[in-house]
Amino acid sequence: MFRSKRMAAVIAAVALGLTACGGGGAAAPQDQSSQTLTLGALLAPKTFAANQSEFANLSPFYQAVYDTLIRMKPDGSLVPMLAKDWKYNADKTVLTLTLRDDVKFSDGTPFNADSAKQNLERFKAGTSPDAQFLAALKTAKAVDATTLELTLSAPDPAFLNYLSKDASFMQSPASFGNADIATKPVGSGPYVLDTAATVTGTSYSYHRNPNYWDKGLVHYDNLVLNVYGDQTSLLNAIKSGQLNAANTADNNTLTEIQAAGYKVNPLQLNWAGLILFDRAGTTNPALKDVRVRQALNYAFDTKAMLQSIGQGYGELTTQVFPPSSAAYDKSLDSRYAYNPAKAKELLAQAGYASGLTLKLPSSALMGNTLPALITQQLKDVGITAEFTDTGNNFIADLLAPKYGVSYMILEQQSDWQLINMKISPTAPWNPYKYEDPKVDELINKIHVGSTDEQTAAAKELNKYIVEQAWFAPWYRPQSSFVTDARTKVEVQTGNAYPFIWSFSPAS
Amino acid sequence: MYRFVLRRLLSGVLLLFVITTVAYLLLYAGGGDIARRIVGPTASQAQVTLKASQLGLDRPLVVQYWDWLTHALAGDLGRSWFNGQLVATGVSSRVSVTLSLVLGATIIAAVISVVIAVLAAVRRGWVDRVVQFVGVLGFAIPGFLIALGLVSLFALNLKWFKATGYVPITTSFGGWAATVTLPIIALSIGCIASVVQQVRGSLIDALRQDYVRTLRARGLSFNRVVYRHVLRNAGGPALAVLAVQFIGLLGGAVIVEQIFALPGLGQIAVAATSQGDIPVVMGVVVATAAIVVIVNLIIDLAQGWLNPKVRLS
Repeated sequence: MFRSKRMAAVIAAVALGLTACGGGGAAAPQDQSSQTLTLGALLAPKTFAANQSEFANLSPFYQAVYDTLIRMKPDGSLVPMLAKDWKYNADKTVLTLTLRDDVKFSDGTPFNADSAKQNLERFKAGTSPDAQFLAALKTAKAVDATTLELTLSAPDPAFLNYLSKDASFMQSPASFGNADIATKPVGSGPYVLDTAATVTGTSYSYHRNPNYWDKGLVHYDNLVLNVYGDQTSLLNAIKSGQLNAANTADNNTLTEIQAAGYKVNPLQLNWAGLILFDRAGTTNPALKDVRVRQALNYAFDTKAMLQSIGQGYGELTTQVFPPSSAAYDKSLDSRYAYNPAKAKELLAQAGYASGLTLKLPSSALMGNTLPALITQQLKDVGITAEFTDTGNNFIADLLAPKYGVSYMILEQQSDWQLINMKISPTAPWNPYKYEDPKVDELINKIHVGSTDEQTAAAKELNKYIVEQAWFAPWYRPQSSFVTDARTKVEVQTGNAYPFIWSFSPAS
Repeated sequence: MYRFVLRRLLSGVLLLFVITTVAYLLLYAGGGDIARRIVGPTASQAQVTLKASQLGLDRPLVVQYWDWLTHALAGDLGRSWFNGQLVATGVSSRVSVTLSLVLGATIIAAVISVVIAVLAAVRRGWVDRVVQFVGVLGFAIPGFLIALGLVSLFALNLKWFKATGYVPITTSFGGWAATVTLPIIALSIGCIASVVQQVRGSLIDALRQDYVRTLRARGLSFNRVVYRHVLRNAGGPALAVLAVQFIGLLGGAVIVEQIFALPGLGQIAVAATSQGDIPVVMGVVVATAAIVVIVNLIIDLAQGWLNPKVRLS
């Protein structure tokens, strides 16, 4: 009897210890007052050095500490930030910006035209993946403390857009040589990073910058950005109410997230489908024939693809320009409605009535369903798909270029960025450097033309690309940004993460 | 005794050297084009070359390794290639998280296992059969499944604990306990299952020994015989199992840290390995190897204390 009592006491003590821990947990403050905004993120920044910074999913980490020269509103329009106004010369090669004179970096250094000049030059020469944003920048000159003159080697219709992104993050020039700049940013932004409370790669803690020049942009006293490398842990953090807002990588979990009281804010950032890279038929002569490329557009039951791969979240399309673009034409979304008979007919006209073989790359990230669906739909029109597993080299192999056709999800940016990313002969996503005189002519009009000419040329370019079947888009998948009942947000046109000043307390 | 400790220390240092050298060479062999990975697939070749040169990747492997080793011996493990943080700072801030989990799980496992094992070995009969059955079950269920079940029940439904995140013990004990309790339980269940089997077996063997009968015949109470003598004799093998379990838990912590989004060594190891951030991976290797060497040393000393014959061997 004594034995078991003693053991029972030990067990009880252990159990009590654990319960005590539990009690502590329940009593622990849920640091979620309207004064602290806690956001979930899927990626952590590699560095806080402004000249190596990135954007998209990483934008909130940087926007909290670095101001830009120009600010982009959620609808994509540009408004003043550190630059109060700006104007181009007649041929759009000299941009003159008038800067604020009341801004200081967190180390006390005043912001002026010279610091802006140095930051732009450093970004252009730095190792940020977006360094090419400033490719057109020839010289930067500080005319006086508040006047910055930027000379471009050629007009760049996206240049002002770039100045609202990482290309114009302003870091204190006094900190350029800091050995610890990667972890201790020195900017003029609305928040200051609390390095003591930050675990690099996992959790970033910021406090309101008491000297910020525009109090109207700061809606919280504290900002916490938590990084979740694992989808399950992100979902658990959302479901247990530890986050005010987060982006989700997977629409499969939206029902659970909504059940936990979160609102889904949809946005469309990408298009999914096939890229028909080899339009000159270098690796596969069949792809040179526009009828074959059009047949590939007709061959896919895109509605079924959206349902089975994207769980129905998204909109069907056959164009790569987004609805926010001047080039967008709604009628083109259904230009190639699913029609396997038409696809077979076009293939027969092109001389491939007896069949055709296409080599495509696959990756573990695609899962098994996608290659199976592609194979089946192509088989239905008489095309044999041969998939090769590229391991970790999927993107590298596409850009090498090793494949004439591939499935891909690509971003839909503003027109000029989009053209330079996937259409122009030098675009990285035109890896065969395919050129078409008509496309070149239209790109040139967009490059140097007046606003009206640009719009007209962009519309024509879009229509031409769709008719020529440079791509075989299926749909624009819905991305989802979720917010709890206490948080209001405006999603950002063209960016995966809403901008940091677009968050505010709901009440 | 000093020679014993010195010998163990020297072999530990040698082990550290071998582990780090092999790890460096393996990492480098599997690294591929790291500079390209850092600057992204669309960056120009000039940017890639610039990055490679900034990181010193354009030097011969032997030179890079020698550079790493000499700096490491001086306490400088370099900076992360991906986030610029000092590796020593990044790793040391995370060691405490992982040690919280692994030490917590080991201590809980040790206490609970001994209690259960004594119950099973002394009582035998149905108690023993239940312990054996539950033990096999605990051993068979993967730690991550237990972790997911615990999160679902205690964090998401009952809201007793936090589902993710970590609060340092220096900030708030309650907050710390709320964040580490579920991971510790998840980690300790498998550990308890295997330690119970070992201790139970050793106890049963020890209870059959002649000295037990002698001690009982001299009038010592059964409890005194079990707790003072039998447990001490069975303690050696139990400690060895615990040491192995502790090292195994360092591996198990990787998955548990991911599920609970805890900023531990496991999390940094996964992120750094998948990126090819060699300085950070090497920092994690040095830290874990050092922990393993220290734990083995402590276990050796403890076994020496429990059983003087060990010191002589």
